[in-house]
Amino acid sequence: MTLTLALLAVLAAAVAAGFVAAARARGLRAAPDGGRLNSLPVYHGLHALLWAAIPELLLLALWSPVQTAFVDRAVLATPEGRALPADPVQRQSILAEARDIVAGRIEAGFNPQSTPLAPRYREAEGRLTAIGAGASLLLALAGGFFALGRVRRDYRARSAVERWAMVLLVGASTVAILTTLGILLSLLFESLRFFRLVSPAEFLFGTTWSPQTALRADQAGASGAFGSIPLFWGTAFIGAIIAMIVAIPLGLMSAIFLTQYAPATVRSWLKPILEILAGVPTVVYGYFAALTVGPLIRDLARGIGIASASSESALAAGLVMGIMIIPFVSSMADDSIAAVPQAMRDGSLALGATRSETIRKVLLPAALPGVVGGVLLAVSRAIGETMIVVMAAGLSANLTANPFASVTTVTVQIVQLLTGDQEFDSAKTLAAFALGLVLFLITLALNLVALTVVRRYREAYE
Amino acid sequence: MLRRVRRRYAAERRFRALGLAAIGVSLAFLAFLIVTMVSRGMGGLTLDFLKGSDSTDPAMVGVWGALKGSFLTILVTMGIAFPVGVLAALYLEEFAPRNRWTDLVEVSINNLAAVPSIIFGLLGLAVFLNLMHLPRSAPLVGGLTLALMTMPVIVIAGRNAIKSVPPSIRDAALGVGASPMQVVFHHVLPLALPGILTGTIIGMARALGETAPLLMIGMRAFITVPPGGIADPATVLPVQIFLWSDEVDRAFVEKTSAAIIVLLLFMLAMNGLAIVLRNRFERRW
Repeated sequence: MTLTLALLAVLAAAVAAGFVAAARARGLRAAPDGGRLNSLPVYHGLHALLWAAIPELLLLALWSPVQTAFVDRAVLATPEGRALPADPVQRQSILAEARDIVAGRIEAGFNPQSTPLAPRYREAEGRLTAIGAGASLLLALAGGFFALGRVRRDYRARSAVERWAMVLLVGASTVAILTTLGILLSLLFESLRFFRLVSPAEFLFGTTWSPQTALRADQAGASGAFGSIPLFWGTAFIGAIIAMIVAIPLGLMSAIFLTQYAPATVRSWLKPILEILAGVPTVVYGYFAALTVGPLIRDLARGIGIASASSESALAAGLVMGIMIIPFVSSMADDSIAAVPQAMRDGSLALGATRSETIRKVLLPAALPGVVGGVLLAVSRAIGETMIVVMAAGLSANLTANPFASVTTVTVQIVQLLTGDQEFDSAKTLAAFALGLVLFLITLALNLVALTVVRRYREAYE
Repeated sequence: MLRRVRRRYAAERRFRALGLAAIGVSLAFLAFLIVTMVSRGMGGLTLDFLKGSDSTDPAMVGVWGALKGSFLTILVTMGIAFPVGVLAALYLEEFAPRNRWTDLVEVSINNLAAVPSIIFGLLGLAVFLNLMHLPRSAPLVGGLTLALMTMPVIVIAGRNAIKSVPPSIRDAALGVGASPMQVVFHHVLPLALPGILTGTIIGMARALGETAPLLMIGMRAFITVPPGGIADPATVLPVQIFLWSDEVDRAFVEKTSAAIIVLLLFMLAMNGLAIVLRNRFERRW
């Protein structure tokens, strides 16, 4: 972990440079020949600290991923490295085992070739870490001396520090774009690898989902069908249909009651309680659905005569998900109804309408764009939800409209495909990234539509 | 005509009752949930449970390992998301010119706040594990993934807080001779801090309850020893609950419910703290 030591050393050098610079500036100010500094000593100190710390921290941050590639290359050039099999996946796994042995995480690897590889790995890693640490330390000292040389009476240290601060601010804002780009690029990259194995037409329009690819030629029950329509149907059925049937009426009526009928004291404690509903982690909802709601619904279904109901029904998952979404619909409806000017409400009441007629005929139509936007955002939240469906819905990809049957969704399959034991390159694990890409694009589209609906159709009240 | 008026009033009463019933359904569900969890899990909340770690024997499991893992993960998350989020909010509100580039950044942040959490898990898997070879199932990777997820929330809350500081404060500071950077860091930021902290605590509470992205980066492993640092394999409390819910042994039901009670208490504490902060320190200009 020499890199951590290098990090600490760079920080220590930067702080030291800062103190030295500040002390020198104070000395200049106390000089007998009328010393009025342009900037306060603390700015000189900060200036030195920033020059000594930030370029070096950037170097260290960029060095660690690059270092792994260099170490791998160096290890593969040694005699033990050249003896490794040519298959890149196997090679990567042996290298990963050697890495773990060097880091002390495991004693010996499964593959016999990884144990003699470990000393070579340690050697190469030590060499390259020393290079990286040395370079960053040199850079820190260079930066510190450069800044120290600038401590003069008329040097505008505060402006220099503020320029650095602007660099940091712009850098922080770019992280958001980098994240979005990162998501898109990583999903696209892996999905393209998937689409080389399975055709996009079969993926997008096929109706059989059975991703178990055959490991041997004669393995039974492995068809490798990757048609994702049953998954999208399951997602839409649970998230967009059942959950919305529960959430929209309940959320809307809750918002109406809270804003129009509830007295202020009742509203002051009712709102936080509804916010608690939004704050409960989805694992808890999922566990509750699997433990209590699922068997309840199954018994209910058996009671009214449907014998084939399972306890992992779409209705159980959809019901709990709908209740989880109620706070979202309720708060968006609340905001849009509150945005309608009081004059419209007062005018309607003055004409003799009851409160419910005012709401139904005046307020709701005026608040409709906001409510529709809120509903779309809630749908986008529901179809991206994972834990409730993983724990309460099933794993079988059915294309059925029976709410008591068990269906599976896109998010459940992503979790299934990536948390089992299989090698990373097979079509099975890459399918998860393709599913993730489609999910990301759908939620992106829903969010954009929701935003434009709200922005374009909202009445401009002054 | 009297009959018509009476019908309208009856419709009004029915509508009001419907609204009350809607709220009642939500409250009843919440009560049902809490009562079920408490009744099934109260027996499992012993001191040994709070001090022990995971194991195959349901009589010996505890949540301490998961709590420590959660704590380390949240530390990494907040250490990255809070500075980056606050600085980005300051830039977007105070300094950014109105051009295509900043519009793109704004749209990016608003979209990221609404992306499903499992996509961040896929991102973490592809970039942090496969590209950068960081240790699997460590709080470092979990914290990085959750930081990417929490940062947009902090930016949005930060922007609202900064927007609510009145322009007179900025003008007065400029009038006294402060530079734009000094106005922001010496005057606007301290006044906007309560609002930013409220948003941060809410974001932190959300990150504490996240399961799906951490499952993707491998925190599904069976960890029997609490983690020592941020690079050791660890698990977090929601993932632990998920893993125990899969167990076939019925004795795990009590332990899972007890762990859920612990998690809900933490959530309640953090949301309560956010509400107290908001009521005590946020100034209405």
